[in-house]
Amino acid sequence: MKKVVTGNYAVSWGARLARAQVIAAYPITPQTSIIEKLASFCADGEMDARFIKVESEHSAMAACIGASAAGARAFTATSGQGLLLMHEVVHWAAGARLPIVMGVVNRAIAPGWSIWTEQGDTLSQRDTGWLQFYCETNQEVLDTTIQAFKIAESVFLPAMVVLDAFVLSHTSEPVDIPDQADVDAFLPPYRPQLKLDPADPRAFGALVLPSEYMEMRYKMQKAMERALVVAEEVDREWGEHFGRRWGLVEPYRLDDAEIALVTSGTVTGTSREVVDALREEGVKIGLLKVRLFRPFPHQIIRETLAGVRKVAVIDRNISFGDSGVFAQEVRAALYRADARPPVFDFVAGLGGRDIVPETIREIVDYTLAHDAPTEEFTWIGVKT
Amino acid sequence: MKKETEAKVVTFTSEAEMPMMPASVASTLYNKTGSWRYMRPLYANQTPPCNAACPAGEDIVMYLQLTAQGRYAEAWQTIVRENPFPGVCGRVCPHPCESECNREHLGGAIAIHCQERFLADYAAAHELDLPAVDAPPREERVAVVGAGPAGLSCAYHLRRMGYQVTVFEAKEQPGGMMRLIPEYRLPRKVLEREIGAIVALGVEMKTGVRLGVDLSWEDLQDYAAVFLAVGQSISRELGVPGEDAAGVLHGIEFLAQVKRGQKVGLGQKVAVIGGGNTAMDAARTARRLGAEVTILYRRSRAEMPAIDEEVNETLDEGVKIEFLCAPVAVLTENGRVRGLRLTRMELGAPDASGRRRPVPVAGSEYELEFDTVIPALGQVADLSFLRAEVQTERGRIITDERTATACPPVFAGGDAVTAFGTVTAAVGSGKRAALAIDCFLRGIERPFPDLAHNVQAAPRRRDPTVVRFENLNTAYFEEEPRPQERQLPAAERVTSFAEVNQGYGEEVALNEARRCFSCGTCNECDNCLIFCPDVAVLRGDSDDEPFVFNYDYCKGCGICVSECPRHAIVFEEEVKFTKT
Ligand SMILES: Cc1cc2nc3c(=O)[nH]c(=O)nc-3n(C[C@H](O)[C@H](O)[C@H](O)COP(=O)(O)OP(=O)(O)OC[C@H]3O[C@@H](n4cnc5c(N)ncnc54)[C@H](O)[C@@H]3O)c2cc1C
Ligand code: SF4
Ligand code: SF4
Ligand code: SF4
Repeated sequence: MKKVVTGNYAVSWGARLARAQVIAAYPITPQTSIIEKLASFCADGEMDARFIKVESEHSAMAACIGASAAGARAFTATSGQGLLLMHEVVHWAAGARLPIVMGVVNRAIAPGWSIWTEQGDTLSQRDTGWLQFYCETNQEVLDTTIQAFKIAESVFLPAMVVLDAFVLSHTSEPVDIPDQADVDAFLPPYRPQLKLDPADPRAFGALVLPSEYMEMRYKMQKAMERALVVAEEVDREWGEHFGRRWGLVEPYRLDDAEIALVTSGTVTGTSREVVDALREEGVKIGLLKVRLFRPFPHQIIRETLAGVRKVAVIDRNISFGDSGVFAQEVRAALYRADARPPVFDFVAGLGGRDIVPETIREIVDYTLAHDAPTEEFTWIGVKT
Repeated sequence: MKKETEAKVVTFTSEAEMPMMPASVASTLYNKTGSWRYMRPLYANQTPPCNAACPAGEDIVMYLQLTAQGRYAEAWQTIVRENPFPGVCGRVCPHPCESECNREHLGGAIAIHCQERFLADYAAAHELDLPAVDAPPREERVAVVGAGPAGLSCAYHLRRMGYQVTVFEAKEQPGGMMRLIPEYRLPRKVLEREIGAIVALGVEMKTGVRLGVDLSWEDLQDYAAVFLAVGQSISRELGVPGEDAAGVLHGIEFLAQVKRGQKVGLGQKVAVIGGGNTAMDAARTARRLGAEVTILYRRSRAEMPAIDEEVNETLDEGVKIEFLCAPVAVLTENGRVRGLRLTRMELGAPDASGRRRPVPVAGSEYELEFDTVIPALGQVADLSFLRAEVQTERGRIITDERTATACPPVFAGGDAVTAFGTVTAAVGSGKRAALAIDCFLRGIERPFPDLAHNVQAAPRRRDPTVVRFENLNTAYFEEEPRPQERQLPAAERVTSFAEVNQGYGEEVALNEARRCFSCGTCNECDNCLIFCPDVAVLRGDSDDEPFVFNYDYCKGCGICVSECPRHAIVFEEEVKFTKT
């Protein structure tokens, strides 16, 4: 069934089709309509889930942790400051190996108070042990939400499905909403390994001595590494069931490209247009969309970018005192490559400032004009 | 408790042997996390201010809760356990409960008197009987003298406790001053139903018997106790020349005659003197008989003892009130009233009642023309029949807080003892006497609160601390307006004795009951159950105890306390460890 829905509703539909059993959430702009929709699904009996209204994001995640520990499929959604407030238990969910799925609408961090898009909120959680998917379209949002449950539940790590504020969250697009039966065939019920039984409780997450702690961390990292394989496998299965695939990364017109743009989120869509236009003009350019950011697909990225002459990363974020975060990761991935193309980093569109085709052209022009970067990264569009 | 948790040392040799997440092998049920607590929540059932303020000691909050659930019969039974006159009180009580109601701050006090009336009217329409006497019969006989609300209430409660009660009433009919309250405020059938129900429980009613005239103290010797509830029945004199002229009718006699349907010689221009309920009723009655009426009162509006609403209704009906004036003489012509000579008054220093004393303004005398003068200056008690041992002071019998006089088997209450001057106060006084007489006859000691506080015949377990608005969690309540009682328009009112206030119907009553905060009193909203982060709130198994705390796991966070909208839970410090 095709429906015209916003990015946020696509998240809600994803959680509904995945048959999430417990939803605990606290509203925050621009995430609110995700949970409003889920609340009405629950209220109307269209979804058989327990909707828990909580007093903060910290509690939302805590409730999801409890529910997931007790064996339920748990879902929440948040954004910006809400994610930051949740931070302590974001770590906990991963450490407790609970496959919770969370929709996160990227929102710039205050102060300067802002409700517009920027990736700083999710990127600040990159070391928590959560899988992170950055989505480009509403269809991808819906599909990824369902896939995320399957991947998370097979490696026992939680997953974030990330979408840009407003540009995606509040923009409507036609979306294919799969039949419940087809989703059921794709996604079996969650089978926990360790289950909290209130009648015979155990202490979960207790003290671990230095003699064992490191092994626990080792196991988490191994699970992350396995997630790369599982994510690929699950995406392939998705393709078999629904005829669409998204990949962990997506190369676009890269085959003979000399310049590769590296993008994530909705910037990708705009960049595709610019790549097409430049190709018309004879510029040998392509792009690589990074969909899976955690675990970071080092090897695929290394292999895909190894042949290009220059790499230009667009970062809608900044790691203060360093550079854009995606560029750091791409550089690190390429370091082990035999032929290392220079990596240009462009920080653009912070706090929801529009990234339009002209912005991307400016980035490409800069890259064409320089053999190698002359600074760690380049600001785009700053009024200096 | 036996430790299930003998320390077991597990050694892992590789990560593969280790679980994903550390989890204990043994159950954690042995760990009673309640031991971390140093504050403890308690279901206290504190007292709502309405309950505390009701002179008849009704459990208002409880009958509002039952009404909100549509359990009208039980709600009515809850009232009559304390007060057998809800039909009367719902109509004539000045409702001090409403003056204290916490709802006042969010849309207006609950219309408690209308709720009470609704339930009484419901009981009448459905012919509900008072609950039958189920106490084992008692040998002792008790005499009640005076069948006003105090006497009847005492007789009712003693009867319910199993005593044999005889009421002696001087008048031909029981009811006391309630009989004089005009039809437009208290229809006769309402009063008669409620008195009839008390008599039907097996109270012996002997009317036309006046103690001191038709009955002597010796005749009362067979009774184990006597309750004097003789009210105040003698009208105060004006004390000015001309008072005995034709055309001077005393307030309560005038009202009694009209109520009995007797013809009264009322003129066209009527003066009513006084500022109490009797004055208002005399004026309104005279209006209904077609007269032009002026009330003359020696103080100002603020000092009027009449119920405020009644004063407003009186004014609405076209009665004029002249403040700060007092009669100096009744002017007569051929032995008939032709007018009044009055003096202007001004307010001086406060007197014993705290109200400012009116003093005449020298040289301010003036005259007004009237053909009828109705003095309604209040009444005094006729205590001529009293035994010498029973002490009196300024026209009232002296008792202690148990209503006991100086002469042990003789108890006294109502208007003959206190100056509250309301039906509900009299009802409460009669009930207190019944409880005290019961204790006296059984030789039981129990404390009674002072006469300004109420007592309960069927007390619910509750903490006497009164819950105030600041104690409530008002985040849970919205401002909602108080409903308007239906009322006949003033122009229509003065043409007949039809009841002025019409109460309201079921839908409004239900809604109004739901508007009540249920101060201090759990109404099973489930908030504490939902909010407790330690699942330490459990459902109880009786109505008295809808919820219980599992103190094994209550960590004393106090969330239930603050999330209870109505302050039904209190928080107290718990001292667990003491140095020895
Ligand atoms: C016109 C009027 C309007 C009122 N309006 C209101 C109102 O709106 N609201 C309100 O709350 N109150 C009102 N009151 C006051 C209220 O009626 C009295 O406060 C209340 O009735 C007092 O009750 P009681 O039982 O103490 O005495 P009473 O009601 O006075 O009853 C005493 C009874 O004892 C009898 N008696 C007296 N002496 C003897 C004796 N020696 N032997 C045997 N019997 C005897 C009397 O005949 C009388 O029946 C009003 C009073 C009047 C007069
Ligand atoms: S809100 Fe209800 S319980 Fe509270 S004082 Fe008013 S009537 Fe009584
Ligand atoms: S909310 Fe629960 S744990 Fe906290 S004080 Fe109340 S009963 Fe105890
Ligand atoms: S929160 Fe609700 S259920 Fe709990 S004590 Fe208060 S009124 Fe009763």
